Amino acid sequence: MTLVRVFTAILLAATLAACGERASPPVVSDGADSKAGKVLRLTFQVAETGFDPVKVSDYYSGLVISAIFDSLLTYDYLARPAKLKPNIATALPRITDDGKTYTLTLQQGVYFTPDPAFKGLPHNRRELIAADYVYSIKRFLDPKNRSPYAFLFEGKIVGLDKLAEAAKKSGRFDYDAVVAGLEAPDRYTLRIRLTEADFNFSHVLAFSLVGAVAREAIEAYGDDTNAHPVGTGPYRLQRYMPSSKIVLEKNPGVRDMFWHAEPGDNAADLQIATRMEGKKLPQIDRVEISVMDEAQSRWLAFQRRETDIEYQLEELAPKFMTMDGKLKPEYAGQGIRMERSVDAEIIYLFFNTQEKIGDKPNPLGGFTPEKIALRRAVAMAYNIEDQIKIIRKGQAIRAYYPIPPGVAGHEPQYRNSIAYDPRLANALLDKFGYRRSADGYRQQPDGKYLILKYYSSPSERDRQFDELMKRSLDAIGVRVEIHKDRFAELIKLANQCRLMMKHATWIADYPDGDNFMQLLYGPNTGQTNSACYRSSAFDARYEKSRRMPDSAQRNQLYREMTRQMEVDTAWLLTDSRYRNVLLQPYVIGYKKSAVNAAEWMYMDIGAKEPR
Amino acid sequence: MSAVMTHETSPGLWALAWRRLRRDRVGMVSLVVVCAYLVVVAAAALGWIAADWPREVGVNYAPPGFAGADAPPPQGSLTPLPTAAAADEPGIVDPLADVLAELRKGLAAAPDAQARAATLPLGGDKWGRDVLKKVVKGTETSLVVGMVAALLAVLIGTVLGAYAGYYGGRMDDFLNWIYSVFTSIPYLLLVLAIAAVLNQKGTLTVILILGLTGWTGIFRLVRAEYLKHRTREYVLAADAIGTSNAQRMFAHIFPNVSHVVLVQLSLHVVLFIKSEVILSFLGFGVGVETVSWGSMLNESQSELILGKWWQLAAATTAMAVLVTAFSLFTDALRDVLDPRLK
Amino acid sequence: MTAYMIRRLLQFVPTLLGVVLLVFMLFNWIGGDPAYLLAGKMSNPEQIENIRRQLGVDQPYYVQLWIFITQVVTGDFGVSWATNEKVSTIFATRLGPSLTVLLPMLIVGTLLSMVMALLVAYRRGSLTDRAIMIGCTVGQSISILVYIIVFQYVFAFQLGWFPVQGWGQDFVTNLIKFSALPVLVGVAVSLAPDTRLYRTFFLDEINQDYVRTARAKGMSESRVMGVHVLRNAAIPIVTHVMIQLPALLAGAFLIERFFSIPGIGREVLLAVERSDFPVIKAVTVYVALATLIFNLLADILYKAVDPRVQLK
Repeated sequence: MTLVRVFTAILLAATLAACGERASPPVVSDGADSKAGKVLRLTFQVAETGFDPVKVSDYYSGLVISAIFDSLLTYDYLARPAKLKPNIATALPRITDDGKTYTLTLQQGVYFTPDPAFKGLPHNRRELIAADYVYSIKRFLDPKNRSPYAFLFEGKIVGLDKLAEAAKKSGRFDYDAVVAGLEAPDRYTLRIRLTEADFNFSHVLAFSLVGAVAREAIEAYGDDTNAHPVGTGPYRLQRYMPSSKIVLEKNPGVRDMFWHAEPGDNAADLQIATRMEGKKLPQIDRVEISVMDEAQSRWLAFQRRETDIEYQLEELAPKFMTMDGKLKPEYAGQGIRMERSVDAEIIYLFFNTQEKIGDKPNPLGGFTPEKIALRRAVAMAYNIEDQIKIIRKGQAIRAYYPIPPGVAGHEPQYRNSIAYDPRLANALLDKFGYRRSADGYRQQPDGKYLILKYYSSPSERDRQFDELMKRSLDAIGVRVEIHKDRFAELIKLANQCRLMMKHATWIADYPDGDNFMQLLYGPNTGQTNSACYRSSAFDARYEKSRRMPDSAQRNQLYREMTRQMEVDTAWLLTDSRYRNVLLQPYVIGYKKSAVNAAEWMYMDIGAKEPR
Repeated sequence: MSAVMTHETSPGLWALAWRRLRRDRVGMVSLVVVCAYLVVVAAAALGWIAADWPREVGVNYAPPGFAGADAPPPQGSLTPLPTAAAADEPGIVDPLADVLAELRKGLAAAPDAQARAATLPLGGDKWGRDVLKKVVKGTETSLVVGMVAALLAVLIGTVLGAYAGYYGGRMDDFLNWIYSVFTSIPYLLLVLAIAAVLNQKGTLTVILILGLTGWTGIFRLVRAEYLKHRTREYVLAADAIGTSNAQRMFAHIFPNVSHVVLVQLSLHVVLFIKSEVILSFLGFGVGVETVSWGSMLNESQSELILGKWWQLAAATTAMAVLVTAFSLFTDALRDVLDPRLK
Repeated sequence: MTAYMIRRLLQFVPTLLGVVLLVFMLFNWIGGDPAYLLAGKMSNPEQIENIRRQLGVDQPYYVQLWIFITQVVTGDFGVSWATNEKVSTIFATRLGPSLTVLLPMLIVGTLLSMVMALLVAYRRGSLTDRAIMIGCTVGQSISILVYIIVFQYVFAFQLGWFPVQGWGQDFVTNLIKFSALPVLVGVAVSLAPDTRLYRTFFLDEINQDYVRTARAKGMSESRVMGVHVLRNAAIPIVTHVMIQLPALLAGAFLIERFFSIPGIGREVLLAVERSDFPVIKAVTVYVALATLIFNLLADILYKAVDPRVQLK
């Protein structure tokens, strides 16, 4: 009798489970599922957040958005350093008024994917016009969207900030109001007026998140735009299981696009160009993305040919790579290829250079010789080699310059003036009066207790950094306290200049050095300047550099600024990570994008030989 | 023939229990094992052994002695660090330049780096620290955490349970309400909350997290016991002679309940030792200034993929032996203290 | 019975209120400011203010608390702060995968433990009994983390018998292919403690008078064990399973994280990492409610089956 009840309960629950499965979000498009065609399967190691260009800021959402939406400009697929190219625009913008006015002409005959939001139009399709870009840019400053990339346009476009202010007061952004700086004098012409000269604005127009959205679609989907992207790009969203699976299919009505890029002298690039030149894009009909957190599983899936391209297996590198950075013969023999590149990022250890933290004195801050000596000693004692060798398992290069390789302004020959030398660090501290007390740890020169605070998050990876920091500082007799806090809290504390020491990462938003140098600019304290570093020498040079395009003079300024930062020891640059991308033999045409955009529309799948 | 009446007092609960325990072979063996561990804990705490566990005596990932040394160093490729000196930049002056130049001249040539062992008895971790010493130190940390946290949980649970069971009525309702709320909130959130309130992370925080989340089971049992006992005659008798409530609760009833509490204490030591591992995984474990079994297991996750299994094996074995012994001892304890089971 | 049920249902209210208050206090006091996470790389104080306004956390506490209470009553917790997905949708879609792993785990685990416990109770005191019990104790002394790591490494990675992780689209694939290893790990972990527990249940029954009577009447031992003892011990076993279920739902985060199962446990972990209060609120309230309901069901089951039991 009881057993019967038990059984019924189980049956009920099983039915529930089955129902739960079917309650997943409905398929976005009505396209017939998998037919024959070229399919590219890949993985994301972190869950995406969504596909509304103004609502997200993470790398993975950005990749998908770059495949679904079109920005006005883009970058040449092969040329390095990155070279701007027109995308929806017919040509690079005409820049007039000393860099204050950008005029572009759009291609004609580009259509949004058919969507019920365009009801009333033939086949539910709507042509892309200049006004769409006006609308899309306005959305960045709508307070309701709280866009993490609003800074791209804040204070830059004539008349736009006024509208944003009004929206904050009234609670509604008036999209119909005319903005002087965003004009669409006719259907296919766009004119942007900037508040001040900016030679880098083209990079903003090439940014993957600055794609065209359709007002009707945004208004139709309301709060659900993250799951219903409607764009003009080579792909559209076919199926979506949040944090789990994303399937993109070729946009059937996509405009005619043909593969064309500038290979230069690079042999690998020439090979890609030979195979792909002139082909109609996109060659790949479907892209299937699975979210897999664990590297182990991604590696296994790749080995079993369940995925075609594997972007990041950092911890597992010793499994498939030899010590000198090449693919192991047993994998190369199968035709698997590895593309190695350095990400356009820098990782650095910053020191809070302010005299006070909150209302307490900061033992690490200030610019008197003895304070600089303390920071310099810590910088000289921190073992970057171990960081690369053990924590990164060799998959990083030492960063000497705030601007990483591949970004305009990078200096491969520049050498840091701070060398790893714990003995010299000890001598330096002795010289400046940081005497050791009975327990072996040093005190401040005035006899006060000395303790430094290093902040990190509770992950296992950060625990390794904690250990490295403790070892490094024990070698010079400086006491350190490790503070753990969650990521959001750490950002908050950094913005309030309450963090004494921490590692930070900055990934390029666009391939220009200014994106990196602004991290040390005084007025950016409280935003991106986590060291809260204010140096008039640095700031004066930075302001001068902003008025220059990429040139030898700007590079000279950048070198001086870097050296200033070193002598003040606001940062210790540590490394930039390698990205080892693994490719199955039949994947053709892959080259790591210079900016964080997807490469899928430029790739092809060849014949798959049996194993 | 006259039988002499000897005054033999009947043995108390504890004496009886001890006698019965002596006859339980498995129970005695586990007790011995547990005591051995406690000796290790004491020795480590006093600094007699494993005091220098953070020293990097081996190469990175040194394999255990019985497995043989690694041939090539196990890391991935390393770009050689260039030795070119930094060029001067016009207009930028280093206030420390002269001092540093002077100090450099004064420093003698660097002494040879101390040779590091190619293998260690139980292997080495990624920094080359001796896994054997880490396991010993980890034993100290984990056992201390487990025992102190269990004491805390038992204290809270017993006191609250006593009040709830003894007084009944509104007090009982109130405490039951607290109990319901505590048990309804997902464990992860409770842990997070307590961890966030106690700003500083470390061993004390771990103890508090475990103690403050683990009292609920004990509360329920003790409450049930007090409910049972408060209507018994001896309690009414105590009331008649004019004892206070507190005296009745803790001087009279408690000794009759203590065997339940003791078993719970023992159970929770085991439970908390295992929970500490989960806490380490979540990032709420002990800090880097010490080592626990949980932190070792956490580290070993990423090592296993590279084929370095010794830290995982060492920590798991040490923990498994202790937990098994402690659990078997708890079973034996329960058996000998329970008047019903024959 | 009805009066008892009504009384217990009414008692839900103060408990839920307590949970709501506690979660609210905890989150606001120490839950971490999600605005900074949502603000992206470059944010100024104005943007932070704007985000806080959009999320509604700039309003006075009593207003936020009132909103929370109405949400509990209506069951609508709004949208996730991180992804804008509706919280109710999150639950609907994540519940399925969680149950697809948990239910088989519970069923297989319980059946297996019952069989082992029955066997061991039958041969009580023998060498088999002691050996198995010690084996159980050893098995119980290894951390679940180790089980997950080792099982995943050996069975999926090295031997390739199961996928290392992942989740598919249809129910059958999920059940057979992707749930297999997580279920195996779950069963392995719970086998030992459950066997020990069920053994005590069985032993309690065996020591009852009716068993002695049945034996005296000449009933075969297998019938005594397999029919009478089993049936009576089934009640505490089933209630034990029922009471565990709500906690397991939220607590399965370890297994879900390692095997990439898009279930509720993993969602809770994500929500906590991202300070996603709407999801945290919803999970807490649902789990609390489920715990109360299942406890009530367990008590009622006891009463319905055993008339001697007095419900307070």
